[in-house]
Amino acid sequence: MMSYNLKKRRMHVIKLIFLSIVAIVVLLPLIIVLSSSFKNESEIFDFPFHLIPRKTILGNFEQLIDTFPIYIFNSVKLTVTIVLVQLVTAATGAYAFSKLTWKGRDFIFGLYLASMMIPMQAVMIPQFIIIRNINLYDSHGALVLLGAFTAFGTFLIRQFFMSIPNTYSEAARIDGAREWTIFLKLLLPMSKAVLVTQIIFSFRFFWNDFFTPLIYITSPELKTLPLGMTDFVREQYVYWGPQMAAALISIIPVLIIFLFGQKYFIQGVSSSGLKG
Amino acid sequence: MKRSYSLKNTGTVMSFLLPSFIGFSIFVFAPMIMAVVLSFTNYSGGPKFRFVGFKNYVMAFSNPDFLSYLFVTFKFMLISVIFQIGLGLFFAILLSKQFRGCSTFRSIFYIPNILSSVAVGLAFMFIFEPSSGLINEFLAFIGLPTSKWLASEKSALNVIITIAIWQNFGYYMVLFIGGLQNISTTLYEAAEMDGANKFKQFIHVTIPGLSPILFYGITIAIIRGFQVFDYIYIMTGGQQGGGPAGSTNVLAFDIYLNAFTYFRFGYASAESVVLMLIILFVTYIQNRGQKRWVSYDVV
Repeated sequence: MMSYNLKKRRMHVIKLIFLSIVAIVVLLPLIIVLSSSFKNESEIFDFPFHLIPRKTILGNFEQLIDTFPIYIFNSVKLTVTIVLVQLVTAATGAYAFSKLTWKGRDFIFGLYLASMMIPMQAVMIPQFIIIRNINLYDSHGALVLLGAFTAFGTFLIRQFFMSIPNTYSEAARIDGAREWTIFLKLLLPMSKAVLVTQIIFSFRFFWNDFFTPLIYITSPELKTLPLGMTDFVREQYVYWGPQMAAALISIIPVLIIFLFGQKYFIQGVSSSGLKG
Repeated sequence: MKRSYSLKNTGTVMSFLLPSFIGFSIFVFAPMIMAVVLSFTNYSGGPKFRFVGFKNYVMAFSNPDFLSYLFVTFKFMLISVIFQIGLGLFFAILLSKQFRGCSTFRSIFYIPNILSSVAVGLAFMFIFEPSSGLINEFLAFIGLPTSKWLASEKSALNVIITIAIWQNFGYYMVLFIGGLQNISTTLYEAAEMDGANKFKQFIHVTIPGLSPILFYGITIAIIRGFQVFDYIYIMTGGQQGGGPAGSTNVLAFDIYLNAFTYFRFGYASAESVVLMLIILFVTYIQNRGQKRWVSYDVV
């Protein structure tokens, strides 16, 4: 008779093998992108697929040199701006909804939460009309304004502020500290973890955002990286090498941030489930 | 004295509230109302427009194309939700207990979720390339029939559903792991003492304990499923798109086409209100169902 322990260990090994196979399948598309970025067009469809190119080339990246540096620059500029603006609006809003008492607070917070359920498609047409009327169509200003408010971020930071006992802020108030001082000097330093989570989530969102730039940006010199990447889709003849190189460029920054800030990603996902 | 305090207080509250509230009212709340109003007009971007009553809605629901887009949207939503939640739950259970390497697996399964849908779309267009893409080469190699994939009306939607599942199941896995770790281990111990086997423990401890987050996850998955757009735009056709024979034309895509290609803002708004109502209905069901089926006392 097989001992219980042996059986258990065998089950564990089977589980590990299964998980490893799934992990390879999950990562395979990324590996293909990485490898194909450095292959020339004649080698790119070779079967069986080989990981290391027979002849490693940088030509695919060189073909992007005319347009992509400006796309990347625009994406970096916009992502950084929107992330910072969101951080300010979310953190100040969170303070108003957690540490200050005023009439209508819970009602307005309820509206914020409800707005998370409103599909983007339902508001995009009026948004478009508003943006066009204030003459911001085809400008980066449009993207910044539309990205400035975040219900999710306000909610995330508010949850964290709520977990900080009020005794801190009350003691400071008795000492005569003003609300902005309490916010800037007391609460924010205590909330680094949640602020980083917020930064990481909005970075990922706006670095990847395709839909908003698609609607508002038409000038080539204003395009962001995800929008610029769809140049390939419209072209008659597809060159797969440069396309994979472009995909690789857009993937790498988020991947690096993920490797360093995994726990913040996990926290962000988990705390979004808390309200469920 | 009291009055001046409250004035000062109002000023302080405003200074914290306004940065987000201005954005909320101008770019979320007002547009929501405007969308409903627009859906009753024939607005097309010009200065002249008038109210047309329910005409846009009647037009939509008497148009067989619109009904087929609704059907495609439901199909996408249903299949992708079942697999995303199913796989998410399955891997959450496999990875919720600590063992050596478990956090690496968690990270790997979550990685697709952080990537841009454009990059993902481009990568899979390459992999599913209809003539000599890797999938077809592989199928030919093992002697199976190849397919036109994204270029065929039979398979295009299924390919996109597969990609959506690949990209999103890790998110639900992470969500559910958080929920599983909140279930107290004493409950399992008690169940084991009562002689419950693993399956019974799963039905009577895991599922009830996880139910709030499970419910939340399903709702989010349904809502996101109804709004799918990026993959459709990128992989099946760009500006004019909608896939081979309209087979991947989902509601969100049709709204986009009508609004920004044909400038039928009134009609597109009516479609978007339909989408909003569907989503509000799902949310309502979730709220109702949560009170009825979710047990909070287990955790």
